[in-house]
Amino acid sequence: MLRVDVQLELSSFPLEVAVLADRRVTGIFGPSGAGKTSLLEVVIGLRRDARGSVEAFGSTWLDSAGSIFVPPEERGIGYVPQEGLLFPHLDVRGNLLAGARSRARRVAGADAAELTRVCALLEIDTLLDRPVSTLSAGQRQRVALARAVCSRPRLLVLDEPLASLELPLRRRILPFLRRLRDELDLPILYVSHEPLEIQALADEVIVLRQGRVVAQGPPARVLADPEVFALSPDEEYENVLAAVAGEAEDGEGRAVELAPGVRLRVPAFAGATGSTVLVSIPAQQVLLAVESPRSLSAQNVLPAVVRDVRPAGALRLVASELRPGGAELVAEVTPRACVDLDLRAGREVFMIVKQTGCRVYAPSSDAPSSAPMS
Amino acid sequence: MSHEVVAALELSLLVAAVSIVVVGPPAIALGYVMARHAFPGRDLLAALLGLPLVLPPTAIGLLLLRLFGARGPLGRDTLGIDLGFLLTWRGAVAACSVMALPLVVRTARVTFEGVDPRLEAMARTLGHGAVATFGLFTLPLAARGLVAAAILGFTRAVGEFGATVMVAGNIPGRTRTLASGIYAAQQAGREREATVLVVVAIAVGLVAIFASERLTRSAPRRGRG
Repeated sequence: MLRVDVQLELSSFPLEVAVLADRRVTGIFGPSGAGKTSLLEVVIGLRRDARGSVEAFGSTWLDSAGSIFVPPEERGIGYVPQEGLLFPHLDVRGNLLAGARSRARRVAGADAAELTRVCALLEIDTLLDRPVSTLSAGQRQRVALARAVCSRPRLLVLDEPLASLELPLRRRILPFLRRLRDELDLPILYVSHEPLEIQALADEVIVLRQGRVVAQGPPARVLADPEVFALSPDEEYENVLAAVAGEAEDGEGRAVELAPGVRLRVPAFAGATGSTVLVSIPAQQVLLAVESPRSLSAQNVLPAVVRDVRPAGALRLVASELRPGGAELVAEVTPRACVDLDLRAGREVFMIVKQTGCRVYAPSSDAPSSAPMS
Repeated sequence: MSHEVVAALELSLLVAAVSIVVVGPPAIALGYVMARHAFPGRDLLAALLGLPLVLPPTAIGLLLLRLFGARGPLGRDTLGIDLGFLLTWRGAVAACSVMALPLVVRTARVTFEGVDPRLEAMARTLGHGAVATFGLFTLPLAARGLVAAAILGFTRAVGEFGATVMVAGNIPGRTRTLASGIYAAQQAGREREATVLVVVAIAVGLVAIFASERLTRSAPRRGRG
């Protein structure tokens, strides 16, 4: 789908990237200043000074040797930058049509139905006549997403779309991104410095550090690499698991299903029974036991089998498959614990997770607390 | 108001309006190019464009006379036809245009510099070519500032005296504007007429200032997009 082989002088180091991105959702992960945005700008066509080549969907977008440069308006990319960049002189509808109109001339059948569908998907249908200056931060980002999708792109490029949002807002918008991913048949490039977002959305991750690709592969595996997660803001590994919401309860908790027969108790959240949610659990929050513990305050004791043990600096990451199967959870332990418990591949263990150690990401519209942040 | 005062007011407004129409497009083009592109000689161009602001207007008037004079580069003998700039209202338009150009270019440049180039890049990714992006996004985003620039140029043209008198003269009913009318009335001792002309000039100026203030103050918030 996308083959990039480019060199570009940046202020502090050169960007030298040669990658093939052929999965549906490719995450580009790296710390701030690693060259992620510059790479995107080369793909989008906003950097004319890049050398090398960019090929996408069977055509050449850039070939500096052959003097080929396809301008951004002909690449068919739906772009959502960190700040959203809505047009301040247009209302929400005007912003959405700004993309839809221009391509309508070339793509037959760009129509109101698509607009309606995207607006419903992102729950912005009630905002259409609002000036963009009256939108909250979360609404702005959803409108920016809708505008990109309404332009009928061949590729969606999202550059840290959640980074400008407060944490609670991020937790509410992330499920919208998953919904977009699942409902639209569109390849996506997703740039983020948050491993959690990459794990939640990407089929494959490309790790960028100082302008170079240092790793590429499935997110759960690549991001559990100590060299890689050391690049994340918290420098710790976080499990991200898709789960099906169980029935809502009156109490303070609620059950979700990680895989058939693998149930987890998490803090209460709003969301319909049977809907898909994301659960994140820092590896630090997971305890291991070799015998089934009794009389424990923790709500979750999950039988599992150790798959592998990896060094992570002074500590160890123990990846285990939960019984009866289909979900993996990583725990962080000390080397001493590894020896004491004889942790190695194939060892049967119990993984202990506090209900309050889990964080749930469920799709929901703006709660009343989301005051406009403009 | 006397017939002379009305004639002077009409001519001043006509000359200023035509000047702005003449100056507008090149000023917008120059302002945009200078705001968005660094090219060799940009500072020199900016300095040359700024000259009418710092030179005595009579010097500009003399240069225009040489340009349009019979043997000048745009004169009757050189071109073979008379463009009719000397001692006509068209000459006043030429003088006012040259005097207003630097102000309009400057204001347009600052306005375009205030338009986030990332919004233009965004428009490009949404499928608009460079020209469509300028017309559909850059111009509307800059609209208020550009109108303010036009008002500034208009008032500069209304007030222009030195260059206009050199090129167009000061012929009552033909090339006498508010500015030259005040001078002529005062020189001839017609104090009452001079006072009326000054009052009219103050009124025109106040309207322009209020319009400009309104526009710049209610400018849309930018940058947050």
